[in-house]
Amino acid sequence: MLNLLTTNQLSRRFHQVEVVHPLDLALCRGDILGLLGPNGAGKSTILRMICGDLSPSSGSVEICGFDLLQQPRQAKRNIGYLPERPPLHPDQTVDEFLTDSGYLHGLNRSQINRAKTAVKKQCGLEQNGRRLIRKLSKGYQQRVGLAQAIIHDPRLLILDEPTDGLDPSQIRQLRELIKELATDKAVILSSHILSEIQATCNRVAILQQGKSVYNGDITPAEQTGYRLGLEQNPLESEITALPAIASAEQLHTDYFMITLEQGYRPSECLQQLLARGWQVSELSPASRSLEQLFLQATSGGLQ
Amino acid sequence: MSLSLAWIEWRRLMRTPLAWGSLAICLCLLSWQFLGTLESFSGMQTTHRALGLSHHLSLQIYGLAAVLILLITPILTTRVFSESFRNGSYALLSSAPLSNLTILAGKFLAVVSFLCLIALIPLLLCLSLFTGTQLDLGLLLAATLGLLLLSGCFTGIGLYFSALSENPGIAAAASYGVLMLFSLLDQHTQTSSFIHWLAWPSHYLDLQLGLVRLSDIAYFMLLALFFLGLALHRLDRRRRG
Repeated sequence: MLNLLTTNQLSRRFHQVEVVHPLDLALCRGDILGLLGPNGAGKSTILRMICGDLSPSSGSVEICGFDLLQQPRQAKRNIGYLPERPPLHPDQTVDEFLTDSGYLHGLNRSQINRAKTAVKKQCGLEQNGRRLIRKLSKGYQQRVGLAQAIIHDPRLLILDEPTDGLDPSQIRQLRELIKELATDKAVILSSHILSEIQATCNRVAILQQGKSVYNGDITPAEQTGYRLGLEQNPLESEITALPAIASAEQLHTDYFMITLEQGYRPSECLQQLLARGWQVSELSPASRSLEQLFLQATSGGLQ
Repeated sequence: MSLSLAWIEWRRLMRTPLAWGSLAICLCLLSWQFLGTLESFSGMQTTHRALGLSHHLSLQIYGLAAVLILLITPILTTRVFSESFRNGSYALLSSAPLSNLTILAGKFLAVVSFLCLIALIPLLLCLSLFTGTQLDLGLLLAATLGLLLLSGCFTGIGLYFSALSENPGIAAAASYGVLMLFSLLDQHTQTSSFIHWLAWPSHYLDLQLGLVRLSDIAYFMLLALFFLGLALHRLDRRRRG
């Protein structure tokens, strides 16, 4: 499949300080890549380079087969960008602002009218077309920013901290919308919130001081371990002696992190534990994945 | 594309109270000056009239209009880049399929076309006299051309300083400083003739007197292009960081 975004050894220096170390990314349709890292890790800089707001010190960015530096116009036609602060004009109404955004991306009047109705519906702005942007709440302003980014139906959507300042229900709606949009686009979003990335993305790049310390899939939750609570305090070896359990690690006096043997289901594991005569107080899937991945990757990066 | 950007910018500008406020203030001040000039001219004895009414009008009203444009331009131009860098709305343009030249040209056209409205007020006021008296239309048109050239030139200077700083206050102060400097350069007779040539009032005065000289037109255009070139360079540098 054609890569919608390819970066090749993309890097950025500010005053001799390497802010972004050479980075390779490749995104196809349906990918939702999360850039995860503490504040100041270079997330926004990477996104600004990909959308053409900042040129890289070295390396290249290719969008839908067009080189961003050689053919900026064709490449940028395929980008929708929502910066950290939504780039709004507070004195305009939502409709006027979206019309202008459409013109800037080279749409004509009839295309704009069609696209405007569609994006307002997608972003839940149907009732707000005639309202001044200044008068909208933060959540609605964020929606207008997103509507602006998708009005020209870009192939690549770049969202810088899109859920910043939204309330939990708005965050949930936005996640749904991003997943819906990703069916025919590639999405790249940044966040410093783990749960955010875990809930929305299917791939993650973890950044630490401008270096990509992990770049790949988010481990699906079912492949991870289980948290086992027992009222007794057996040895780890006693637990692994059960046929359903592959490994066990004692985390606390009465908590273990276990992984299951191939082919065994948690219910079978539970039966075996009970048959052994132990009182089970807890058996729950432990979302080991991203948090541990993040800690491992970032502590590894620090060494 | 520059034209559609100019149209977008123009519409945005016309949504602000700033645009309508400054138009209203200019209209009031210029009308006041217009009535004052008429009153003093009609009160003069014929023997004391060294210049005709057209010249009186062009010197008095067009002189004031030039000062008003000088005062308004930096306020308009700081919004264009400085403020949009600061509030993040510039990202909307830099991520759109537009070159820096297109962006600069669009913004320039939008500001200049707004200033054209102010530059046309004196002409409209003078045209109202055509029902009762004969005026030198050529002279008035020359002075109007002067105002238009002045608008372009001041806008170029303002846009450069706007692109230079992310602080709108600094950008406005720097624009005022340079505009005032270019107004004062011919005040001292000792300085070289090149420095005299750099000052805009003498070039503008030619046009106010009905003298349309290619050298004056070239002066305004060169000055505008010079600062627009610097602004473009600045925008490119900004993208490179």
